[in-house]
Amino acid sequence: MIFVIGSNTTEQHPLIGTRILKAVSRGARLIVADNRKIRLARVASLHLREKNGTDVALLNGMMNVIISEGLEDKEFIRTRTEHYEELRKTVEQYKPDVAAQITGLQAGEIIEAARMFARGEKAMVIYCMGITQHTHGVDNVKSCANLAMLTGNVGRPGTGVNPLRGQNNVQGACDVGALPNVFTGYQRVTDADRRAEFEKAWGAKNLPGNVGLTVTTAINAALAGDLKALFVMGENPMMSDPDQKHVKDALSKLDFLVVQDIFPTQTSELADVVLPGACYAEKDGTFTSTERRVQRVRKAVEPPGQSKPDWEILCEIARRAGYDGMRYDSPSDIMDEIARVTPIYGGVSYDRIDQVGLQWPCPKPDHPGTPVLHVGRFTREPGLFSPAEYKAPKELPDEEYPFLLSTGRCYFHFHTGTMTRRSRILEREERFPYVEISVGDAKRLRLVDKQKVLVSTRRGEVQSLARISDVVKEGTLFMTFHFEEACANALTINELDPEAKIPEYKVCAANLRKA
Amino acid sequence: MKAVTLEELERFLESVSSEYDVRVPIMLHDGSRTLGRLGEGKLAIRGGKIPFKPTSVFFPQWETMLLVDEEGKIKAANRAGKPIFLLGMTAQDLDCLEFIDKFFSTSFRDDVYFSKRDGAAIVGISGKCGIDGGFMKIAGGKCDLELICEGEEFLVVPYSTKGKELEERIRCAEQDASIDLLKKESDALPDADQDILEKASEMIRSERVPDEFWRDIAARCIVCGSCNFVCPTCTCFEVYDRNRNGLIERQRMWDSCQFDGFMREASGHNPMGTEMSRTRRRIHHKLVADRIRWGHMTCFRCGRCDDVCPTGIGMLAVCKEIVARYG
Repeated sequence: MIFVIGSNTTEQHPLIGTRILKAVSRGARLIVADNRKIRLARVASLHLREKNGTDVALLNGMMNVIISEGLEDKEFIRTRTEHYEELRKTVEQYKPDVAAQITGLQAGEIIEAARMFARGEKAMVIYCMGITQHTHGVDNVKSCANLAMLTGNVGRPGTGVNPLRGQNNVQGACDVGALPNVFTGYQRVTDADRRAEFEKAWGAKNLPGNVGLTVTTAINAALAGDLKALFVMGENPMMSDPDQKHVKDALSKLDFLVVQDIFPTQTSELADVVLPGACYAEKDGTFTSTERRVQRVRKAVEPPGQSKPDWEILCEIARRAGYDGMRYDSPSDIMDEIARVTPIYGGVSYDRIDQVGLQWPCPKPDHPGTPVLHVGRFTREPGLFSPAEYKAPKELPDEEYPFLLSTGRCYFHFHTGTMTRRSRILEREERFPYVEISVGDAKRLRLVDKQKVLVSTRRGEVQSLARISDVVKEGTLFMTFHFEEACANALTINELDPEAKIPEYKVCAANLRKA
Repeated sequence: MKAVTLEELERFLESVSSEYDVRVPIMLHDGSRTLGRLGEGKLAIRGGKIPFKPTSVFFPQWETMLLVDEEGKIKAANRAGKPIFLLGMTAQDLDCLEFIDKFFSTSFRDDVYFSKRDGAAIVGISGKCGIDGGFMKIAGGKCDLELICEGEEFLVVPYSTKGKELEERIRCAEQDASIDLLKKESDALPDADQDILEKASEMIRSERVPDEFWRDIAARCIVCGSCNFVCPTCTCFEVYDRNRNGLIERQRMWDSCQFDGFMREASGHNPMGTEMSRTRRRIHHKLVADRIRWGHMTCFRCGRCDDVCPTGIGMLAVCKEIVARYG
């Protein structure tokens, strides 16, 4: 039993998508919860097209059915979890007809999904940005976890809550502390003992114990004048952050902007200094995949011109800034240091990942790695049920902006198109910015396919080509943020999840008219 | 008949490397096999067909066809160098090579292809060196020289004048090996896959496979293009120009009929505008359209598309499903 929610898996994680397709061919049941008729929905046993941003209501509704029909895993709840009573009370209010009203689904669909999931001998939840990119993204994730714990689907192969990471090495970047609140391996900077250990390891004094800014709050701080300098590596916030005008105003206000990337971007145009980095084929190192597997990447060709691998650039800057502690002969040396200071990477070394990578936690050189998390025990045992109430997205359609605009990626381009729009055949496949609109809406507005249209929100307006299809439901539009000539993020809203600070890319109010 | 050990073969390959650009199956760092130059990795003749299509030596993924300088003068891309010596073609690969030789020389001669193909020496591999020692069909021709594994040693069977010259240069201890038993074993190999392809081809031709079937298959396709990129008889490419500081390079790159842009017209209209029609085309072209054009199917059952397809809808898998559902 596979429950995919908020993930266009075959297009955005094709290798994982193919495993789902194969599992379905072998008889696995598949539920897809996605407002869009994504590719994977074609082979699903059940496709739930809930209104964008109503996932908490859907998940609570499913849990309501599971509990009222006695399908929950009582043994698991008793032995492995706490706060069940709080969960029960919260989801009690989400009877199928209540959840149906919020989500726009039929009560019967919610009941069927609940039974199908709970009756699966092994059931897994797979989620991606459709769950996280909301002002209630954390609530969405908690609700997915609640569903898995309620049915005892944790800690066994074929079960679990499986977040698919949005980029090839975002897992690795987080693992080594590219976050505002932790050192490597999620060791908190607010913990004085941890700080003392890192001060010792790095020969440094007074490491700051305050939590820094996230990507999105840093942009806000720049606009407020509280942030003076920004060093951007391998990101293109001018295209990828919400509300492009806001981002441009913020970046323009900085005293100093450094951009390190492999190609010029809209962000590097605003930079005071551009540092050319080496691409994946020009450097040695590791990427950590979405299944926590630390894998080698190997240099095939020399970096062109003055470009250098990222680690060399960073070490060089540290030296020139007066810190002498970052001296490494090779990326393998750096991994040895990571292993020394990071318990979950403690047993990882280049020797061990020469052919096949290792999945963390891998604390010791003789530890085989951990393919399945939470076997017999949670990191926090017992597992805590964290019930969440449904909260509406920040900006919903109204008279002035009657459409709900959702954004994401397409199959042939990656992110802001920095790489894929330079690739001949990929660019040929998707040449022009487009906006998906339903057949019914197109008919009402007298649009024809590929007609030029203007899409506007309270943030801005872009010109795009109408793509009329049954992929989106009536009242909904979908755009991608790959195209600088009509960037979806000129339209999106800079409203953040209060905890994770992730923006609500998936919902804002928009209008559409002929160009 | 001569029979060589691997050591004797390696010595022979080194001896021809002064006049040939020698390409052989080698072992990669992760234990997989590919075609490489002599010395780029450990020689890895055993293990069946090379996963990557060996015809890519003559029709690579990407190549420069011609150059236009600042004055507008056209010159051919520099293709000087030694002729290619290609070792590692299976009997099926040789059928594929024979077909693309015909394809690239019919109507007009593709001089970019033949600049590499002309003068090349082709060495086939067969016998007891398949996966886990499995028996690979003996080609019995279509190459200059065939190496037929009888266990430890490889029988050396020349077919062309060039093959005979090469055979004479091979130094080995065994001079009186016999091919008879191996031939019998090869002749006795079943060819059930061929029967399935023939049946599926006939059923598609007689319109017994409905659109619904192709929609089902398309729903399981992720449009990665791998089936085309590993197919030794897929010859489609995209042409484009690249300007490098005033010097224009006209290049070509493999294309995939599974992509929307493959047949999309400049207007945006696409005669193959649905995944269903493109999926049907992939199979129909090799089993039916080519049969009408060339008199035979152009799938020679090398099995690479079935090996790489991440969702299990390679040529043989699809044909099996056609026969099972509509046969």
